[in-house]
Parts: sequence; C-alpha cells; structure tokens
Amino acid sequence: MQIFSFLFERHLEKTVLAAAVGLSVVMLTRGEDSKVAAARAVSSFLFYPSERAGRYFDSLERLQEENRALRRLVVSLSHEKELLHQFRDERNRLRELLGFRRDEFYEFLPCEVIGRSASRYHNSITVDRGVDAGVRPGMPVVGYRGLVGRVTQVFPASSRVLLLSNKASSVSCLDKRSRVVGMLTWERDNLFRLEYVGREEDIQSGDTLVTSGLGRAFPKGLAVGIVYKVTDEKTELSRRVGVVSMTDLNRLEEVFIITGGRDWESGEVWLELQKIDAAARGGEEGG
Amino acid sequence: MKSVARILLAALIVLMLQMTLAHRIAPAGSAPDLVLVMLAVLVIDRRPLAGVVAGFLLGLLQDLGNASLLGMNALAKSIVGYGIARCGGEYLPDSKMFRGLLVLAAALVNDIIVIAVGTSLGPAQAIVVFLRDSILAGVYTSALAVLVMQIVKIIPGRAVRAGGRY
Repeated sequence: MQIFSFLFERHLEKTVLAAAVGLSVVMLTRGEDSKVAAARAVSSFLFYPSERAGRYFDSLERLQEENRALRRLVVSLSHEKELLHQFRDERNRLRELLGFRRDEFYEFLPCEVIGRSASRYHNSITVDRGVDAGVRPGMPVVGYRGLVGRVTQVFPASSRVLLLSNKASSVSCLDKRSRVVGMLTWERDNLFRLEYVGREEDIQSGDTLVTSGLGRAFPKGLAVGIVYKVTDEKTELSRRVGVVSMTDLNRLEEVFIITGGRDWESGEVWLELQKIDAAARGGEEGG
Repeated sequence: MKSVARILLAALIVLMLQMTLAHRIAPAGSAPDLVLVMLAVLVIDRRPLAGVVAGFLLGLLQDLGNASLLGMNALAKSIVGYGIARCGGEYLPDSKMFRGLLVLAAALVNDIIVIAVGTSLGPAQAIVVFLRDSILAGVYTSALAVLVMQIVKIIPGRAVRAGGRY
C-alpha cells in the first residue's frame, strides 16, 4: 500500500511518465510484423483522408511535371512538323515534275471491335462500322501501331475484317532499311514468315517491314512487323525470315479503317492542324 | 468530453498537415514538426501529467504513419510533453522568448531521441545529421509554436486558471 501511495499519490506524474516510456519501449522492441499489423489497422481508419489528400497533391505534382515534358515535346514536334511540311512540298513539286501521282494523307475511320471469329485458323473480327459509315470491301484496316488486315464483308452497321493472322492472307512487304521485297504469310499467333527472300538479300533482325504497295492491295508504307529471326537453310535457295507483327492481333479493341486519302494540297488537313494548334494555344493561355 | 473530441480532431488535422504540407514549407529541407507545435500549445500551461498523456497519444498517432518504428515518437513526445509542461508555467510564464527557447529545447531533445532510436547512424554521422537538420527545424518549429500560442491567446473564451494552469 505504501508503494502505491508513493507511486500514485506523491509521484503520480513521474509514474505516468515512466509508464509511458516503458510502454513506448515495449512497442519499439516488439516484432516488425505485429507492429505493422497493429498500426495498419488503426491508421487505415484514422489516416484515410490524409492519405487521399497526399495522393491528390502528389498526382498534381506528377501532372505538372508531365505537362512540362509535354510542352517541351510540343515545341520539338512543332519544329519537326515545319521541316516535314517543307520536305512534303518539295517532294510534291518533284513528283509533279516527274509526272507521279500526288501523295495523300489517309483518312482513318475509328471503329470498335464487337466480335471475333470462333475459328482458330480463320482469324477475323467484326467492327461496329459498315456501309452506312462509308466502309467498302477491300479497305485496309490498321491498329495504333500497324497493319491489322482488310475488310472482307460489309453490312449496314458492321463489317468483317480478315486479319493478317489468317492462312488466306498474304501481304507484299518491303524492308524499310534495305528495300528488300517479300511476301508475308502467317505461321502462328503473332508470328509470320517473309517468303521469297533470296540468300544474298540484305535483311537483318530488327528491320521494320512496311507494305510495299505492289498489287495495290494495301497502300504503300503501312508498318506491318519487325524481323526477329533470319536463318539460312543449307538446302534452300531462300532465307527463312521470321517476323513479329507490330500490332498484337489477339488483343484488338479499337482499329481504324482507311476509307480513303486526302490531297496534300487540299487545305483540309492544314486547316485541321491549325485548329488543333489553336485549341492547344487556347488551353495554354487558359491554364 | 467535447474538448477531448476537439483535441482529437485537431490532432488528426495537424497530422494530415504534417504528412501533406510540412515538407512543402521546409526551408533548406528542414520541415517543422507540427505535432510538436500542437503538443507545446496544448500542454505549456497544463500539469506535467497532461503533458505526458498528450505527448504519448500524439506521438503514438504520429507513429502510426511509420509502423516499423511504432513507439519511437510516443517515447520522444511523452518525455518532451512532460518537460514542456513541467517548465512551461514554472518560469517566466509570460515571456515569449522563454517559451520559444523551451520549444526549441524540446524540439532538439525530440530529435535526439528520434535519431538515437530510429536510425542506425554512427555517433559522428548522427551529430552531423543533428547539426545539419535538427537545429534549423527546431528554430522553425519554435517560431511557429510561439506564433500559434499568441494566436490561441487572443481567441476569446479561453479559460485560464489562476497561476497559469488550467
């Protein structure tokens, strides 16, 4: 009793201080797992608003940084665009002098994939645009990164697209670097083979293949795939060239049908670019 | 009961500010310890018992943000809370300079405990860290504490018992 009286009556403050210090030390010396579990349970309840606020401020900082980086990119791209316009004009003047057809911009019609074929070997997709949107059979279809296939059947509000990953598809391709031409055929999944490439032809892994425009089945210059393997067979006259498609053909969600071209000089594209520029400037000033 | 709820709410707001705002208003990377500011304001005119309890609870709340060191801030803040409450009303209760120095000393003691318990630095490195960060942060914290004490003082309806204790 005398001890209790000594501790809690005469030296209450010091006793409580000693208890607080002792309790803190006990907490400090407990195992990591039990400390984390105890703290997590309480803090997830108490600090939820502050964590949300912290995340909000952090995302603001990230957005500002991203905005700065994008502004730098816009400046760089604007200069590049200006240069490209000069090259384009020069090229069109030269083509005109030589009697070639003018180059055109492609007109892309965005579509959503609404169905896939059930067959493993006749890969096709159905998209949500059809005759009503101006789609015609034979129109090429591209994804964000490259060629996907071509329209084979059209309905009023949908179309069927035959993918490159189909035994019936073959595309004449061109090596962007060495200009070697070959015929692309499907092997499996997203893997293809470039056929009719001679043993002496200059083709290397890492080369990009684009459509050659031969036969006018596809417009020239659409990215198709990347060479990942080149092997020489002793008994064959041609090389075996393995290609992986630019676009993952098994995970298509949005595609674009190339519905036609627009003349460089029509002014339509230029006006659109100017509109985009004006909108971007308006946004900057507003911000 | 009402005042306890108010203090708890204030503590949560201060912790929120400490986690989201303190490092943004840090000159030379030395963020003020807003929890210590609140502790000082709360306990400077109270009994040491209140200082220990408030310090322990505020420190524990602060520890929840970093569970692997659970108990570190509770230890530091309960000692510091006791010290502030013990010395606050005893000597020069109306001197702003004394209060500022008291909070500065409390901030330094707090940092010594945190560095000793929460880091695995050698003595030389610990001294360097203390001299580089703690002194500036302590000055900042004490200046803020004096400012907040002055603001609290002019709030009407704040009951103060005779002798500075309430």
